[in-house]
Amino acid sequence: MAMNLAQRRYVRRLIPMSAAYVAAILLASSVLPKGASASPATIAIALIPGLAVLGVIWSIGRFLTELSDEYLRMLEIRKALVATGLTLSLASTWGILELYTDVSRVPIFWVFPVWCFGLGVGALVNKLTLGDAGCA
Amino acid sequence: MKNRLKVLRAERDWSQQDLADRLEVSRQSVNAIETGKYDPSLPLAFRISDLFGLPIEAIFLKD
Repeated sequence: MAMNLAQRRYVRRLIPMSAAYVAAILLASSVLPKGASASPATIAIALIPGLAVLGVIWSIGRFLTELSDEYLRMLEIRKALVATGLTLSLASTWGILELYTDVSRVPIFWVFPVWCFGLGVGALVNKLTLGDAGCA
Repeated sequence: MKNRLKVLRAERDWSQQDLADRLEVSRQSVNAIETGKYDPSLPLAFRISDLFGLPIEAIFLKD
């Protein structure tokens, strides 16, 4: 299926943002020693992937704004809602376990990757319930 | 919501893609509306109405 203008713009925005996210993580993991204390330098390095995440979410937001096809827009919004619900639910459940039991701690870093995985789950939910996964 | 989109499209010998192109939406949208999985917004319903030259209530039917 040929991509519409909104999809092409989305891909053009998402690829550099995602690449920046991965590059920022690689940079942080190679530059920051384990157990380093928080300092302006370490915070500055940690901010880079955080800004890249904002860039990814901005790309998705622009895509939803520019996508003129209302059905495809609904599919994309459903994906984001499934991803958000899944992530917050998992975080809340595990958070309670961390507070009150002896389960191992999961780095909060994983919230965004889990949310991205949730987009895939959302696409599956769309496919199973409506027959169309989405368009992105 | 039930609709007569498939019949109206067949009368004109249009494929789903033909109708999608005329409405400037995706083929998935046409399929979802035809199969009753998705009810179009009022603006899109008016576009469909204009395209077929029929009132909305002659295309979309109450369940």
